[in-house]
Amino acid sequence: MTSLTTTSPLGSIEGRPTSLVRVLNSEWIKMRTLRSTWITLVAIVLVIIAFGLISAMVSSGRISTQGGGPPRSVGPLSLVLAGANLAVLIVAVMGAIVGAREFSTGMIRATFSAVPKRLPVLWSKLIVFTAVLLPIVAVSVVAVFFLGMRVLSGAGAASVAWSDDGVARSVLGTAFYIVGLGIIGLAIGILLRSTAASIGVVIGAVIFLPALASALLPDSWDEVLKYLPSNSATAFTGSSQTGATLLTPGTGLIVFTAWIVLAIVGAAVVLTRRDA
Amino acid sequence: MIEVDDLTKQYGDVTAVDAITFTVRPGIVTGFLGPNGAGKSTTMRTILGLDRPTSGTATVNGRAFRAAKAPLTELGAMLEAKAVDKGRSARNHLLAVGATIGVGRRRVDEMLDMVGLADVATKNAGGFSLGMSQRLGIATALIGNPGVVMLDEPVNGLDPDGILWIRNLLQQLAAEGRTVFVSSHLMSEMELTAEHLIVIGRGRILADISMEGFIAMSSQHRVVVESPDAQRLRDLLIGPDVSITSTEPSRLEIEGITAPHVGEVAAANGVVLHQLADIAPSLEEAFMELTADSVSFHGSVSAQGSAS
Repeated sequence: MTSLTTTSPLGSIEGRPTSLVRVLNSEWIKMRTLRSTWITLVAIVLVIIAFGLISAMVSSGRISTQGGGPPRSVGPLSLVLAGANLAVLIVAVMGAIVGAREFSTGMIRATFSAVPKRLPVLWSKLIVFTAVLLPIVAVSVVAVFFLGMRVLSGAGAASVAWSDDGVARSVLGTAFYIVGLGIIGLAIGILLRSTAASIGVVIGAVIFLPALASALLPDSWDEVLKYLPSNSATAFTGSSQTGATLLTPGTGLIVFTAWIVLAIVGAAVVLTRRDA
Repeated sequence: MIEVDDLTKQYGDVTAVDAITFTVRPGIVTGFLGPNGAGKSTTMRTILGLDRPTSGTATVNGRAFRAAKAPLTELGAMLEAKAVDKGRSARNHLLAVGATIGVGRRRVDEMLDMVGLADVATKNAGGFSLGMSQRLGIATALIGNPGVVMLDEPVNGLDPDGILWIRNLLQQLAAEGRTVFVSSHLMSEMELTAEHLIVIGRGRILADISMEGFIAMSSQHRVVVESPDAQRLRDLLIGPDVSITSTEPSRLEIEGITAPHVGEVAAANGVVLHQLADIAPSLEEAFMELTADSVSFHGSVSAQGSAS
C-alpha cells in the first residue's frame, strides 16, 4: 500500500515487534531516567544501614545517650534491623509512586499507545521494580546484620550468629517483607491511579491499620488479624515485640505472598478493563 | 486505514459517541471537526484502544489496535501534548517509548531533529512550553515511522512557524501514502490542511465529505455589491427567496441569487456598479451552520433552546 522513500521526513526506519523483553527495557529506561529513583534507593540503603548501626551502638554503649535509647528488652536482631521499619515505609511509598505516577502525569496514554495490550506494562513494572529493589534491600539488611553484630559483640553486648536458629530466615524475610510491601504499593498505585491516595492507603491501611486494630479490638480478633499483611509478615521477619498471636513462619510467608499475588491480580484485572 | 463501524461509547448515562461509522483513507489528510464535547477525543481514544467501545468496532489496518504486533509502527498518535512525565528529559522520554519497538538513540535523535527539539533534548519535559510539548508529542507519535498518523489538535500552542511546519509535514506524510487523521477546532487551519472532512456533533457524524463539497454545501453563499445607487438596485432585486442586508448606504449583501444575475439586473436597468463579488463561505461559516444544533455547550446568549 505504501511506498516510502528515503526522503520521507520520518526516515526509513523499520520498527521491530513489541515483546515483553522490549517493554521491560522500556520500563527500565523509565525507572533509571527519573532522578527520584536514585535518591530513593540511596535513602533506603542509608536508612537500613545507618539506623541499624546507630541503634546497635546506642544499645551497646558505644554512643551514650541521656536517658534515651532502645529498651533493654529488644533483642540483638531487632536492634540491628531497626532501620527496616522505616525502610518499609520508603519502599511502600516508592512502589505506590511507581504504580500511580504515569496515571497522574498522563504518561500512561503514551505508554498504552505503544503497548495497547497493557498487561506487558504491568509485568515489566513489577519485574523492574523487584529486580532493582530486592538485591539492594537484601544486601543492605545482610550487611547491617553483620556490621551491627560486630558492634554488639565488640562491646560485649548480646549478639546472635547468622547460623543461629531462625536468624537467616528473619534477616532475609525482612528483605522480602520490605520489597513485598513495595510490590503491594505498586499494585495499589495502579488500582487507585493517584499517588497521594495510594500512598495513604498503603501506609494507612496496610502498615498502620493492623497495629491499630490489634490494639483496639478485643483479643478474640487476633485469630483474624494475624492474617493481615503486616502481621503475617511479622511471623517470618520475627522482629516484632508485640504480644499478638502470630502464624508460624512458614504459614506467614504463604499468607504474605498470597497478599502480594492478590494485589497483582487486582491490578491486572482493573488495568485491562478500565478506560485509560 | 482507520475504520470505525457503528461505534457507540457511553460514560454512565452520557452517550459521548452514538453509532458512528466512517473510514479514514490513506493518501490524504482527513480533518476531524466538531465543537467541544462533540465526541472527537472519545472517538480517537477508542481507535487507540484507550477506551473500550460500548458497542461497535474501531480498527486500524483491518484489526483492533490492541492486536498490532508492533503498535507504534502501525499507528502513531498524539491525543494530548502533556502525556509525558515532567521529571524526564525529552530524549529519555523518546528512548523509553522507542524501546518498545527496539529503536534506540539514533532514531530518537533523528526525531528530536525533525521536530526541532535537539537543543533541549536533555531538558526535563516539565519545563516545556505548550508548543514544545506539542512537538515532543508529535515526535512520540512518529518515532515508529507509522503508516497511520492520528493527532488531536496538533497546532494547539504552536507559533505561526510551527503551524506552517506541521501543516507541511502532515501533507507530506499523506502524499507518501500514509493515513493522516487530524482533529482541530480551528476551522481555518483545517481549510488549509485537510482534503477530506468528517464533521461530528453531539456524538453523531454530521458530514463525511470532501473539503470543496463541504463548503459548497453551505447555503450561505453571498454576493456583495457596491453601487452609488444601492437603494434602487435593492428594490430591483428583492424577492421572496432573496434576502438583502446593508451595512453602509452604498453596499449590499445579498443571499439567494448569483453574482451574474445581479450584474445582469444592474446592466438592464442602468445601475452603476463599483464592485460585484461572489463571497464563498469560509469553512468556519459552513461549520457553524452545520453544527449550530449540535453544540453541547452554548454560550449564555443562546443558552435557551437551540440556535437557528
